[in-house]
Amino acid sequence: MAALSWVTDPYQSEFMRNAAMVAVLVGVLAPTVGVWVVLRRLAYLGDAMSHGTLAGVAGAFLIGASITVGALAAGVTMGLLVAVLERQRRVSEDSAIGVVETFMFALGVILVSRNDNVGVDLTHFLFGQIVTATRHDLAVNGLLTLVALLLVFVAFHDLRMTTFDAAHAAQVGIPVGAIGTVLIVLISITVVVSLSTVGLLMSVAMLITPAAAARLVTHQVATMTAVAIGIGGASALGGLTLSYHLSTPPGPTIAVVTVGWFALAAGWSAIAGRSAGIAGRHHVGRAVAASDV
Amino acid sequence: MTMPEVVLRVDDLSVAYGRHRALEHVSFSVRRGELAAVIGPNGAGKSTMFRALSGIVKYSGNVELCGVHCHHRRDRLVCAYIPQRTDIDLDFPITVDQLVLSGRRRFLRLGQRPGSSHRAAARDALARVGLPDLGARPLTQLSGGQAQRAFLARALAQEADLILLDEALSGVDQPGVDGMLDLFGQLCEDGTTMLVATHDLALARRRFTRCIAINRQVIADGTPAEALDDRALEATFGSGSFRSVVA
Repeated sequence: MAALSWVTDPYQSEFMRNAAMVAVLVGVLAPTVGVWVVLRRLAYLGDAMSHGTLAGVAGAFLIGASITVGALAAGVTMGLLVAVLERQRRVSEDSAIGVVETFMFALGVILVSRNDNVGVDLTHFLFGQIVTATRHDLAVNGLLTLVALLLVFVAFHDLRMTTFDAAHAAQVGIPVGAIGTVLIVLISITVVVSLSTVGLLMSVAMLITPAAAARLVTHQVATMTAVAIGIGGASALGGLTLSYHLSTPPGPTIAVVTVGWFALAAGWSAIAGRSAGIAGRHHVGRAVAASDV
Repeated sequence: MTMPEVVLRVDDLSVAYGRHRALEHVSFSVRRGELAAVIGPNGAGKSTMFRALSGIVKYSGNVELCGVHCHHRRDRLVCAYIPQRTDIDLDFPITVDQLVLSGRRRFLRLGQRPGSSHRAAARDALARVGLPDLGARPLTQLSGGQAQRAFLARALAQEADLILLDEALSGVDQPGVDGMLDLFGQLCEDGTTMLVATHDLALARRRFTRCIAINRQVIADGTPAEALDDRALEATFGSGSFRSVVA
């Protein structure tokens, strides 16, 4: 009973219930998109896009536009700039990302410095301010999450094919470039939805860590996605509940919980791998004995 | 007896990476049911040629597949390219069934899920390559030879008339190689056309009906006896070095 009240107590107030719903949205969306980021080895791009979004957020603040639109525009611009730079044969992907991230983040800092009033509010976006989430935030994030999940559902098979073997995907008629652009848009949406929970600087925790943990314990993309969503949702709610009782900042607490899940998955994978290795050796031993070599 | 139709016609194909010319003025044609080995030293342009025929790299010249000049991606739907194993992430979380079913994508619209007829075609393709019971297994749990067969099944599910295999036999043990070549022969008898890039000249001599020797351009093209004679090998691999290759 005490355990139950430990879980439910934090959610007696409306602002915490709003916070929980926003956290769950991130906990579902970020790992769903993160699966593709991890499988394509784009973790650095995901991290860079979360940082580069600062330019869009700061720009939107300055001109009084929607933060969501500003962040989305910055994310997509960043993805396209990286794609353009990558066309140079002597510019590797990580170099292109590094150059564009530096530019966008620096631009964001310059824009912040142009307006002293921006700084305080921007802190919310850098580190997250989930407990101030309003019904409006909930509605916007809910809509963006729905759109993103729908995109992933429709493009699921093509995402898998282009990620696994882009050459074959192109050969059987899949628009590989368009699918890549869809992924950039998905990452941008995820960063925007993460703004109000874990914040820009730690949105990569929700994007990468649950998916990376799920990758350790699954053999199919669909199950990897389901496990990643489970870890993401549990981390979001678990982290929020912990932060209430421990009086710690919610965003970083959620991020730390995702890393806890990753450690569990890594431990499980190591034990399972060792067991499989032992079983394999026994199997080989029996086979050798049976063949009387 | 009428000659089988020409499945692939390559005319004056050239590929350049910046200033480096990887292929120059390559021309040849392949008829339905042919099993041809493509041989040449490292850097000769074997993979580049396959990638150009698949439309993955830009080229000049003409490529014609089943009588259709290839200008667009859709013109190459009858061609399947199986890259070198090192170019594929064999740890990717995908089952054999899902891999083979991806060959059916050319028959589906965006977002359309494969139906029962496509699943039946994928099962049939798996049976033809001798892996009827491995559909549910993750790709990462297959041996090298089994993985190559699974990719071949994907090409069959694609209903490809022409299959390009890049170093398909590397890393496969001898019984596996023999089994693969028996399978290639069976598929070619059934009307599939196959080009197989290989470094194994002894194998090319023993198991293929035609060899195309390239080193940036076509050096020799004919039966193994014709394309693998000393003069052709010297021209392909360079003076003296081919003897160690053959050995």
